[in-house]
This record gives sequence, structure tokens and C-alpha cells, in this order.
Amino acid sequence: MTQALAKFTHHAADILVKVAAAGLIAMTLIVGWQVFGRYVLNSSPSWSEQAALTLMIWYVSLAAAAGVREGFHIRIVALENALSPPRKRIMRIASDLVVAACGLAMAIWGGELVIRTWEHTIPSLGLPRGLAYAGLPIAGVLIVVFALERLFEEAEGETVTDEEDPRWS
Amino acid sequence: MELIILLTVLVVCLAIGVPVAFSLLAASIACFVALDIPLVVVFQRMAAGVSVFTLMAIPFFIFAGDLMYRSGIAQRLVQVAEAAFGRARGGLGPVNIGASTLFGAVSGSAIASASAMGSTLMPLMREKGYDGDYTVNVTVTGAIVGLLIPPSHNMIIYSAASGIGVSIGDLFLAGIVPGVLTAALLMLVAWIVAVKRNYARGVFPGWPAFMRALIFAIPGLMTAIIIMGGILSGIFTATESSAVAVIYTILVGALVYRTLGWQRFGQAAMQSVKITAMVLLIIGAASAFGYALAVLEAPTRLAELITAATDNPIMVLLIVNVILLVLGTFMDMSPLIVITTPILLPVVSQVGVDPVHFGIIMMLNLGIGLVTPPVGSVLFVGSAVGKVPVEDAVKTIWPFYGALIVALLFITFVPALSMTLPNLF
Repeated sequence: MTQALAKFTHHAADILVKVAAAGLIAMTLIVGWQVFGRYVLNSSPSWSEQAALTLMIWYVSLAAAAGVREGFHIRIVALENALSPPRKRIMRIASDLVVAACGLAMAIWGGELVIRTWEHTIPSLGLPRGLAYAGLPIAGVLIVVFALERLFEEAEGETVTDEEDPRWS
Repeated sequence: MELIILLTVLVVCLAIGVPVAFSLLAASIACFVALDIPLVVVFQRMAAGVSVFTLMAIPFFIFAGDLMYRSGIAQRLVQVAEAAFGRARGGLGPVNIGASTLFGAVSGSAIASASAMGSTLMPLMREKGYDGDYTVNVTVTGAIVGLLIPPSHNMIIYSAASGIGVSIGDLFLAGIVPGVLTAALLMLVAWIVAVKRNYARGVFPGWPAFMRALIFAIPGLMTAIIIMGGILSGIFTATESSAVAVIYTILVGALVYRTLGWQRFGQAAMQSVKITAMVLLIIGAASAFGYALAVLEAPTRLAELITAATDNPIMVLLIVNVILLVLGTFMDMSPLIVITTPILLPVVSQVGVDPVHFGIIMMLNLGIGLVTPPVGSVLFVGSAVGKVPVEDAVKTIWPFYGALIVALLFITFVPALSMTLPNLF
């Protein structure tokens, strides 16, 4: 059961990162188009900056959630590494609980933020401001799921490994 | 009382290994609960903290630097630097710092620089008989130079955090001379240590090889010119120039170097998006944390404390530098920029320090924090890439810390180093 969940969330995180990467590429094209429009077509699209920013908030939310599953968020491991394995496990469980709680708060009050700002319109884009922030509560829900998955693994005594790439250590 | 809650939750969370962004978030949530402020405000500040147009340059700079790294520019820059400094005894130490400086001109991130230089130069240095601790020392301190050499995504964070729209173009220009000065001091130390340890003399690869390396490196280094030229001439905004740099890098990697295929492109996009998410989540959480501090009037109290102690500009700058150095050893750079800029900038402005000058001081100061334990991400990356325990690397890093501190003092007390270039343009 835990294994199936681990596999599923790993795939989910992978897909989230891929979707986010597509968002980054789309953002590059939008801003590139803005420059092209201004100098070649002599008319800069009015929507481009807001659209790129909205896109960025979305893909950052999704990739940040994936980061909880993959463990690529910067954190301090100095104390953890100095402890014995059983104590280390307790600390990791405590740490994942904090992350899960933050995710829950993000889902609830981030959701409230979306509802409150739904009536505001993003200038030049004509979309509700709340839509730009909707990635926040969605990321919140994903963070809860991912943190719980790690908790299950820890509880069963499995060691949850973080990504090895030192670039994000 | 609430301030104690805020700081205690933060420190405990950081200590038990909660990621930095979630530690900041948890501390802010706890503090808001204690203050009885609706929790929606936490997320409103967080969303507002990242909904800033200039911050869009961050993913682009990270993306461009990563693409450059995967296209093999790092090796070419190493060859250029090796031809220039490699002949001296222990020349690979200064070569490493020179190459890091050049890499800083195409990449905006010190961590990327440490891993790029670490993976290309460290094996070469070990092969030639350099000790592991020394290779880590030069790689990680050299990477700090890239924070000052434009482009630098931390300067963009500073500009956004200043709240008064400090010009990114001015910051970029202001970083050049301090960056070169810091590199020169580090090279000197690297050379002295290398001579003392009696490391091998390098061989000059010959002019044809040097010219080949230089010609191959030029299309890559053009990225820096596009970014700086675009911003200074007013053709592009900082964000636009960074996006153009990405598109240019893709073209150079795919068509000129022919090393960038679909697979590497995809890897670069995914890697960049992960780093971006990490950085921006921290910025968002730090914005909420900074708001909590502001509600508690901590900034005003700290400012009063400093100004009550002294109104001598030199003393104020010294105090501010010490505060930042201490915080920097415990915290990462980007959250500290977001949190401390609104607090300290008014204090130093009051004694006549230019916001651009202060930005440069902050870059180097917090950069030093990236190579000092207990929390120093660049030091950890360098140690990991070099497979040298952090404790071993730190034992012999002191001369390099010395060079960085001397550079910091120069940059702090000689404003002309930073301000001459931005005043010219």
C-alpha cells in the first residue's frame, strides 16, 4: 500500500515538474514575443507581462509542491546528521508534520485568498486575480499529500532519500 | 512576546531540518495566530511577495546559466583562464577563481557556479596533486565572486525588496569593480597558499590552443554583453534581457556549440524550474515573515537601537555588516535579503549610504555567509562535488575568509568602487 502510494506520488511529482518546465518555456516565449512585438511588429502585446507573471506563480506553486515529494527544498541537515538513526527518524517525522501543517494552512487560507480576490480583475488580462493565486491552495493540497506520503514511509522505517544533486542541497 | 514566538518557531524548525521556506511559513503562521491576525493575510503577503514583475528575471537567469553549463561553456572558460594564469606555481588555484569570475558573467547563481567549476576543475586539480581541501576552498570562495559580477539574481531580489525600485542596471554596473577586486584578492591568497604548499607549475597550452578556447568561449560570454548592453541602452528591461539571454543561449548551444540536444534542453528546463520554485517559495515565505516582523515593529526598534548607539556612518556600516555576517552564517542569502533589506536600508540611508552601494555590500556580506558553516549552501555544494568533508575544507579556508573580509571592508568604506560605473552611465 505504502509502496504503491510512494510510486504514485513519485510519478505525480515528476509530472508536476514537467508541467512546470513547460510553463517556464512558455514564459520565455511570451516575454520573447513581447520584445519581438515591440521591435519588429511595432506593437507590444498588452497582455504579455501579466500573462507571464500569472504563469510563473502557477508553475512555481506546482514545482514547489513537487519539491516536497522529491526533497529538493533547501534545509539544514547539520543537526540531523549528528544524531543516531532512531532520533533522526523522530526529527524527520516532526519535520514532515510541520510541512504537512503548512500545506494544510496553504490549502485553507490560500483558498480563502482565491475566493476573496476572485472579484478583482487583472488589468490587461481580463481574468480574475483569484485565478492567478489558485495555484496556491492546489499546491497546499499536494504538499499535504506528499508530506503524508513521506510520513508513512518514515513510520514504516523506510529511509526517505532526498535528491542527490548537490546543487539543491 | 510574539517576537519570541516568531523567532523560536523559526529556529526550532530550521534546527530539526524543516526546509527553510516552510520554517519561515510556520513561524509566520504561529506569530499571526498569537497576534490574532486572520491567517489569509499570511498567504496574501506570500502571493504579493512573488507577484513582482522584476522577479521574473530570476527563472530566466537560472535557465540561461543552466543551459550554458550544459552546453559545455564551463570547460572553455577554464581553458581561457588556464592559458592566462596557469603557468605560475600552483596556477590552477587562481585559474579556478578566474574561471569562476568569467562563469559569474554568464550565470546568476553562486551555487551553479560552484557545481560547474567543481565538476570541471576539481578532478583536474586533484590529478595535478592539489589537496582536496584546497580545491574546495578556491572553488567555493571563487563562486562568491559571481554574486557581484552581473547578472546576479540576488541583486534582483534586493531591488524588489528595497521597495524604492533600486535600478537593476545600476546594481549590475556597480558590482563589476567590486567583483574584480574580490577576485584579485582571492587569486592572490590562492597563489600564496599554493606556493607554500609547493603545488606543481602548469604548462602554457600554446597560443593556438588559447585562441581556440577564447573563440569558442566568446559566443557564450556574449550573453553577458546582451544582458548588460540591453539593460543599459534601454532596449530591454531586466526581465526582457534575461528572456532574450535564454533564447540566445538556446540558439548558441544548439547551433554554434552543437552540444545542446532535446534531452539536455529538457533537463535544463526541469532543473531550472526546480531551483526557481525553491528560490521563489523562499521569497514568498520570507515576505510573510518580514510582514510579521513589521507588524511587531521590530525594524523600527532595531533602527532606533542602532541610531541610538551611534550616528557615525562608519560605525553604522560596521554594525550593519556584523549583523548581516552573523545572520548569514545561520540563514540562506535570499530570505535574508527579503527580510533585512526593508529593515537595514532605511538605517544606512539615513547616514548617507547610497541604496545601490548598500546592495553591493549586502551581496558580498551575505555571500560570505554562503561559505561559512553551520549553514552555507555553496560550501556544502563544493564539498559534495569535491567529495571532501566540510570539516576538512573549513580547517584551511581561513586565508580565503580573510581575503573576502578585506574585500568587504574595501567595498564598504570606498563607495567609489561601487558607484563610479553607475554614475558614469
